[in-house]
Amino acid sequence: MAPIAQPPRDDVDQTWKFLRNGIDRIMTNLQDGLDLRDYMNLYTTVHNFCTSQKAVSFNTSQVGAHRGAHLLGEDLYKLLTEYLTEHLNGLVAESQTHTDEALLAYYIREWDRYTNAAKYIHHIFRYLNRHWVKREMDEGKKSIYDVYILHLVKWRDVLFFKVKDKVMEAVLKLIERHRNGETIEHKQIKLVVESFISLGLDEADSSKPTLEVYRYHFEKPFLDATKVFYQNESKQFVAENSVVEYMKKAETRIAEEEERVGLYLHGDIIIPLKKACNQVLIEEHSNLLREEFQVLLDNNREDDMKRMYSLLSRISGGLDPLRLKFEAHVRNAGLTAVSKVASDADKLEPKVYVDALLETHTQYQGLVKRAFNDEPEFTRSLDNACREFVNRNQVCKLGSNKSPELLAKYSDVLLRKSSTGVEDATLEDTLTQLMTVFKYIEDKDVFQKYYSRMLARRLVHSNSSSDDAETSMISKLKEACGFEYTNKLQRMFTDMQISKDLNIGFKEHVAGLVDEKTTLDSTYSILGTGFWPLIPPTTNFNPPQEIQQDCERFIRYYKTKHDGRKLTWLWQLCKGEVKATYIKNTKMPYTFQVSAYQLAILLLFNHHDKNTYEEISMSTALNTDPLDQILAILLKAKVLISDNGKVAPGSTFSLNYDFKNKKFRVNLNVGMKSEAKQEEAETNKTIEEDRRLLLQSAIVRIMKARKRMKHQQLVSETIAQIKGRFVPKVADIKKCIEILLDKEYLERLEDEDLGYLA
Amino acid sequence: MTTEKPVEKVILASNEGTKITVDREVACRSVLIKNLIDDLGDEAVANDAIPLMNVNSAVLNKVVEWCEHHRNDVAQSGDDENDNRKKTTDIDEWDQKFMQVDQEMLFEIILAANYMDIKALLDVGCKTVANMIKGKSPEEIRKTFNITNDFTPEEEEQIRRENEWAEDR
Repeated sequence: MAPIAQPPRDDVDQTWKFLRNGIDRIMTNLQDGLDLRDYMNLYTTVHNFCTSQKAVSFNTSQVGAHRGAHLLGEDLYKLLTEYLTEHLNGLVAESQTHTDEALLAYYIREWDRYTNAAKYIHHIFRYLNRHWVKREMDEGKKSIYDVYILHLVKWRDVLFFKVKDKVMEAVLKLIERHRNGETIEHKQIKLVVESFISLGLDEADSSKPTLEVYRYHFEKPFLDATKVFYQNESKQFVAENSVVEYMKKAETRIAEEEERVGLYLHGDIIIPLKKACNQVLIEEHSNLLREEFQVLLDNNREDDMKRMYSLLSRISGGLDPLRLKFEAHVRNAGLTAVSKVASDADKLEPKVYVDALLETHTQYQGLVKRAFNDEPEFTRSLDNACREFVNRNQVCKLGSNKSPELLAKYSDVLLRKSSTGVEDATLEDTLTQLMTVFKYIEDKDVFQKYYSRMLARRLVHSNSSSDDAETSMISKLKEACGFEYTNKLQRMFTDMQISKDLNIGFKEHVAGLVDEKTTLDSTYSILGTGFWPLIPPTTNFNPPQEIQQDCERFIRYYKTKHDGRKLTWLWQLCKGEVKATYIKNTKMPYTFQVSAYQLAILLLFNHHDKNTYEEISMSTALNTDPLDQILAILLKAKVLISDNGKVAPGSTFSLNYDFKNKKFRVNLNVGMKSEAKQEEAETNKTIEEDRRLLLQSAIVRIMKARKRMKHQQLVSETIAQIKGRFVPKVADIKKCIEILLDKEYLERLEDEDLGYLA
Repeated sequence: MTTEKPVEKVILASNEGTKITVDREVACRSVLIKNLIDDLGDEAVANDAIPLMNVNSAVLNKVVEWCEHHRNDVAQSGDDENDNRKKTTDIDEWDQKFMQVDQEMLFEIILAANYMDIKALLDVGCKTVANMIKGKSPEEIRKTFNITNDFTPEEEEQIRRENEWAEDR
């Protein structure tokens, strides 16, 4: 192998002539390949020129002194730059003959060829890069680049700026055809994008690419074109189709654009592209969409609402109007559901009412889940709406406490032993649903009142359906409202348990007594005054001898256990059973289930066959009102017979010996209407009183902690503390503050301030 | 440039035409050769020798010897300014032995490393020279490198004064 002739190493002209020849081959004819020797020759030529001692550049003398060793290469760099300019100008000229896709193809082909060649030339000029270029760059020269970067810079400056508009035009035309459903060569666009990206050179550090060129020359025109395209398309589509159809179209288009990014765009564009699409496809039609929402709601078009949700969720603030409409709609739906069942409000079954509330809630909760992505904001709208229609509906107009009252009554229906008993599993579910409504009740204190009253009744009459269900309900309430809320309820259970133990002890005690025999099988419940919502009897009562004896015995026994406690007899809650052995025509004696009052009256007939109204009144000591009612019940049940058929002074009563009933156990202890009514009124009355106390205790608590506070601030703190129970009125709070000022818990200070007096 | 199977060996030719076959990996310690194979493809170097026209056989053998020894070194990134080896004149033992050659050869190796773009070898060579200078007086340095003193005594005195600050005291 003969050594190849090298140009004289210190002769710029000859060296360049040699190099230019090689570079030109690389640039224009690389497909024919480059010989190993040619490659080494070119490299060596560059090396030799740069290392030649004698090659004297024109400015050596000026700069050399400062730099120490002078590095050669400036001439080559300049000549290479000139060559590239010339070459690229040639390409620009040729590009004028192409348009559209042919231009794209041309651009891509030339770009590919050029960058390929640039890589070769970069390597061949590596010696220049390593020394002269590096030194220039180290010294901070901005316009000197690595040879490869130099190629890109020249492409950008010489060619790109002259052809990019036409190239982009072609690209956009192609994309539009794609959007119109034609099949296109994705690859062309992808390559153009890549080329644009490569041209983004950071001026400060040319080795780091930036997206600047791409952003300005590709992204911007592309996004503009996208907007125009979809603006026109959507305008036309909306004019010719329904909103529902448009939503489907928009959804498809957005998905297409997202797919497009993966096909041939730079991933970076996804956010601005989405934004552009969202703007023209959704935002500009958002009013139209929202107007349709009510229609969809009315017709329960879940899929379409889901679509609308997903579209409008893409623009900022897009969903707010939907939420408002949704809230209003749910509220109206709830109100309608209530008024449907409320036609006869007085006889409204608690179950029917609660079911109506629940049904609306369940329906729209389902909608939120399925169509609105279970979004918390929509859930909040749902909650607002539910709170509205639960607390302020047609039924509530009759009495503001109706909702909590009916809810509590429903819970009583569920928890009370009854023939139509609910199964345990469904009972638990129903209780959970009940809690859903409870959550929306504003007057939770009212619920508490009714609930504890009814719980007391269930416990006293031991007709609770199951202990487990009771416990479960209490723990649900505790979870929702805290320990304090259920404290009394829980104490009621405890009392019942203690009573049970006490009765066992009493039975043993009685069995140990030799002399005193009793015919009475008695059970006592000891109920703590503070915890049970019970009031002493409103009537006088003289218990029959038999009972009186046993009671006294029990009192004695109880005093040995707990000295100093006062026992109050709640006769109105007592009940018992008597066997009617006097009745003819039956082998089995009837058993009457009676109240204590009824018992007292019936036992009188053990002594006399006939008793006058006055006699009965005297020995039982019952007030006229209850006495008349009780006698009326006994008369109606045909247990007693009145000589004149009336219950009035002067009547004489006797036993009905021909009493007949299908059952052997006859329940005579039916609730007296007046009693129930009275109880209800009582409950409502105590609510106001209790609220005042609750407010006062809250105010005192706050003031005790803060010592000194502005009036206004105290009011709002109080509201915050109390709203878990009920929604207090500001006027009521002010009244309570006045009361506390009078009682000297608080004092007025200057500046509207209030102070706490210990 | 497609290849069926990567070439394992490449042939290097000195300026006298002497050929030496080395493992591709060894040859690629030279960035020049590495780039060349990248550009021209495996086919181009499969049978033809790569002519290293600025390197003679003796030097080429030395360079190859060094490359063989350092074939598994972690490739130094091209122009790493934080390269520690640059800042110290420590040379590992094998390299010290390797560099125990006459001055002529030493300089030839440095030039070849520069030409073939083998940074690590260039560094070792330059450090060796630096060590030869270190701690020596100007006169000793002149002697070492066979340099004629072409300063006039006045010029020399002036330079000494200007560089007084750098002298050990």
